[in-house]
Amino acid sequence: MRDLPNILAVARREFLSRARTRTFVLGTLFLVLGVVAIAFVPVIVSYLDRTEKTTVAVWADEPSLATSAAGTLDALLNAPTGQSVPGSPAETDFEVRAVNDLAAARAAGGRGDYSAVLAIERTAGSDLKFTLYTDDPATGRTAQLVRQATTAIAIADRLDRLGVEPADQASLFAPAEYGVEWFDPARTEPTQDEADFGTRYLLGFGMTILIFMMIILYGNWVAMSVVEEKSSRVMEVILNAARPFQLLTGKVMGVGAVAGVQYLAILAAGAVALLIQGPVRDLVLGDGGGSIELPEGLTIGLLVEFVVYGVLGFTLYAVLYAAAGSLVSRQEDVSQVVMPMALISTAGYMIAVYAGTGLLDIRSGAIVVLSQVPFLSPFLMLSRSAAGEVAPWEIVLSIVLLLVAIAISLWIAARIYAAGVLLYGQRPSLRTIWRLARTGM
Amino acid sequence: MSLEVVDLRKRFGDVQALDGVTFAVAPGEVFGFLGANGAGKTTTMRIVLGFLQPDTGTVTWAGSPAHDWPRRTWGYMPEERGLYPRMLVLDQLVFFASLYGVPRGQARRDALEWLARFRISDYADRRAETLSKGNQQKVQFIATILQDPDVLLMDEPFAGLDPVNVALLKSAFLEMRDRGKTLVFSTHQLDQAEELCDSVAIIDRGRLVTSGSTRDVKRSTGHQTIRLATSGDGDLEWLRSISSVQVTRPGRDYTELRVEAGSDPQAVLRAAIARGDDVYRFEVADPSLEEVFVERVGALDVEERTLASASLEGPA
Repeated sequence: MRDLPNILAVARREFLSRARTRTFVLGTLFLVLGVVAIAFVPVIVSYLDRTEKTTVAVWADEPSLATSAAGTLDALLNAPTGQSVPGSPAETDFEVRAVNDLAAARAAGGRGDYSAVLAIERTAGSDLKFTLYTDDPATGRTAQLVRQATTAIAIADRLDRLGVEPADQASLFAPAEYGVEWFDPARTEPTQDEADFGTRYLLGFGMTILIFMMIILYGNWVAMSVVEEKSSRVMEVILNAARPFQLLTGKVMGVGAVAGVQYLAILAAGAVALLIQGPVRDLVLGDGGGSIELPEGLTIGLLVEFVVYGVLGFTLYAVLYAAAGSLVSRQEDVSQVVMPMALISTAGYMIAVYAGTGLLDIRSGAIVVLSQVPFLSPFLMLSRSAAGEVAPWEIVLSIVLLLVAIAISLWIAARIYAAGVLLYGQRPSLRTIWRLARTGM
Repeated sequence: MSLEVVDLRKRFGDVQALDGVTFAVAPGEVFGFLGANGAGKTTTMRIVLGFLQPDTGTVTWAGSPAHDWPRRTWGYMPEERGLYPRMLVLDQLVFFASLYGVPRGQARRDALEWLARFRISDYADRRAETLSKGNQQKVQFIATILQDPDVLLMDEPFAGLDPVNVALLKSAFLEMRDRGKTLVFSTHQLDQAEELCDSVAIIDRGRLVTSGSTRDVKRSTGHQTIRLATSGDGDLEWLRSISSVQVTRPGRDYTELRVEAGSDPQAVLRAAIARGDDVYRFEVADPSLEEVFVERVGALDVEERTLASASLEGPA
């Protein structure tokens, strides 16, 4: 391919002149630090939490009840919660103390010695009555946990009174067996539980937004860069040396490479931060609990799809951004002429987000059809893919359609570009653009 | 082995930008393309370079269509100078040359050599925007020739240059010619063209007015010019009485006269001697290109004249 050397030379210049600027280096550094900081938020939070110990006092009008209730409360408050999500804050340590003077405990609580004081009294009907004295919000985490614990204490007390041995009580509380199956008996893959759906939705959402940002931000860069070459009048110099097609393709590649480097830096920083989070957490917090798992649903296949749709989607939009940029002579006019691309990509992104979150039915025919439309497929296919709602042939078809659309766009864009870069002054009308695209000159 | 432009026509909307432009440039010559702003010089060059498609007409170089030749055949210096403002001078020269397929190492060596010749070596590692206009123009010229093109097309190369840089550029022109390159440049500074060009073409509102060797074009009007200085200067009446002669430039230093075609210039000399004046200067010459231009096209309008004379201070 004899165009390649020039395309690469243009891409190289574009990349270097962008990547060497201080704004780019500092901006990337800032983003990387931001991502690392966000990734380490759980560790930081649990580290900060660790320093404060919540102390709860328990008082009962029967001393034996106070001791046993304190024991139950301690066990429940400090138990590892079953639904602990990877990366969530480590459990706060509670200290539970049985006291025998309610008034003194309340006074001490007022001085800040206790976060809460739980008073237990036996009513006339011999059931237990709980009162929580605290200055913290009644809906706070401690209050919530204590409230859950009181139910357990009350039930244990009732069972005691019915004569059930403590050892038998454990089997009473054991959870029953429970399973979820598909309607279709032929389907064998594991069903999706709630948490799984959440991470899948987040994955689809995150990937769609990354592609959308790439198109909007770096597409604009492409257009800006074309206008820069026009307004500095360097365009005619390079136009003598290279064909418009080469200039356009090289520019899209160069800016694409800049975008790729920035994305790679950010994603790599995020991945490394997640991977070393376990060891760092062990080091800082001294417990050996935390191995970090990858989010559920994040498969190699999905990552490859993300890269493919990202690259193709960006290319499709960027060549049109370049053509649009060639039509104006001033940077102020860029935002106006790139409007059509901005609108279409926003539409694709919004539909993908609505479909991903269930506001639109992701299995509806309209979404399935729209997800094959080249300008929308980078967003919609990822959304459907992340939700696990797509057949392999659909992905292949959409990629083929994207490639065809890129070839057509490139052909049209190169013609508009060839004529547009020589136009100065008034922004051409739609009719002129059509004429340019048709005749090329 | 020449650059042949045959019957170019090009219409932009309602404007007939070119209406049958035909001329030939012999290899190794310096060719001046003369016309007012908007006459069609830039459009012609853009068609020769293939940026624009003509509605009709052909451009050939050495017998083959111009667009069949590799890009490095053509060197182009556009009217509006263009460099990447924030790119280092040497970097962009190497970039431009590499687009033509020149190896980076060689491009670097050649660029440094040319920068030294233009006495701007110190600016090699400076951003282009920090250079003065004159120095940017030198960089622009180097960018035009680094790929060693056979044909150089330059649009108003002298516009905006001070006399020192004009002289530098002229000597570079002549060196390129001596290396066997073909040079085509457009200008509306007719004295520059007269000094440098082997051949010229005059174009007006998209139409070719005349073309040929500079001497033939100057003689094409048929009349001649006399420059005369005598002891009787200041009294022009006797000159006006000679019917075949017109005073075109009454001056303190000398008087310029136009002799109609077919008349004998020597009649003026004889008349002066007959009057008993001392003759300090008597010169018979072809009319200047400017005179030809004025006669064939009409005066460059006032604005053009101002621009032409002001072009020493700024770009036209």
